[in-house]
Amino acid sequence: MGNRPIPEETGLTFYSKISASISHELKNALAVINESAGFLEDVTLMAKKGVPLDPGRLGSLAGTILKQVQRANTIIKNMNRLAHSLDEKQAAVDISSLLELMLRVSDRIAVNRGIEISSTTGEDPISINTCPFFLETLIWLLLDLSMDTCGTTKKINVSAKRSGAGAEIVFSGLMELAGSQADELLNGKTAPLLHALGAKLRAIEEEGRLIVSLPAGCPALP
Amino acid sequence: MKLLLVDDEKDFVATLAERLALRHIEADWATSAREAEELIKTRRYDLVVLDVKMPHMGGRQLKQIIEKQLPGVKTIYLTGHGSEEDYRAGVAEAEYYLLKPISIDDLIAKINDALSR
Repeated sequence: MGNRPIPEETGLTFYSKISASISHELKNALAVINESAGFLEDVTLMAKKGVPLDPGRLGSLAGTILKQVQRANTIIKNMNRLAHSLDEKQAAVDISSLLELMLRVSDRIAVNRGIEISSTTGEDPISINTCPFFLETLIWLLLDLSMDTCGTTKKINVSAKRSGAGAEIVFSGLMELAGSQADELLNGKTAPLLHALGAKLRAIEEEGRLIVSLPAGCPALP
Repeated sequence: MKLLLVDDEKDFVATLAERLALRHIEADWATSAREAEELIKTRRYDLVVLDVKMPHMGGRQLKQIIEKQLPGVKTIYLTGHGSEEDYRAGVAEAEYYLLKPISIDDLIAKINDALSR
């Protein structure tokens, strides 16, 4: 990709959108913990004035706090995994696992847009040697386009399967792909990523599908 | 005073309403714009506290619907972390644009201030 580096803003836009969504999620988890702890403080003050404590309500508050701590921990684990995808320019990647990570970190954005994203992957790992961050950026661009073009059904499916020595990722349910601005995106932002990954992208507009074909190894990076 | 709290985080909004009740502030709550629209058909509120980002319909759009049904109602946005655009628009549209988490005393102070305007 030496001659055609991906524009910095493409990767930064992806990363900043996901970071903003993650920070929003963490704020929500903290807000629930804050109210639950505040309520515990309220009932403690009331107990000091002789109002009996309700053990059932206390147990429920403890459960809520624990649930939010687990939620925040999962969000941070995903954020950490995403951040470490920049550690190596090339690495062996399990496509199913990477796809699952991308759907998790995009979940809040999809939910806020009222869109349901399902995934279909086999149980066996689909391992290829690729550029993790470039692939994540490409998947994000295509997820974003999918959300823009899924129409009123608001349902998208993303599937991954082995294809020869490489892999194939399919985005389907894009009912309004035809006539959208897809060409502009596909020929613009995605082109340098596809080149760097040695990947091919096909848009089958009449079927509402985007298909990414990934080779077993991506071209050597400088 | 009577409040309506709208936020898709049920554990947050229900507990906040409970804490306000302990402070003798009556607050109904809803976890979606649709639930809120049902409530405003039959009940009057002095102030609504709205999350900006919610599935299907966010707080800014919901505010416009609520204002048609309840002219003069005061609004406070309470959000996790909005964009700069949300912040600028929120400050211009509502009495306050607040970020979660917030202390309940600070929230009540803002509610009282908004209602006294």
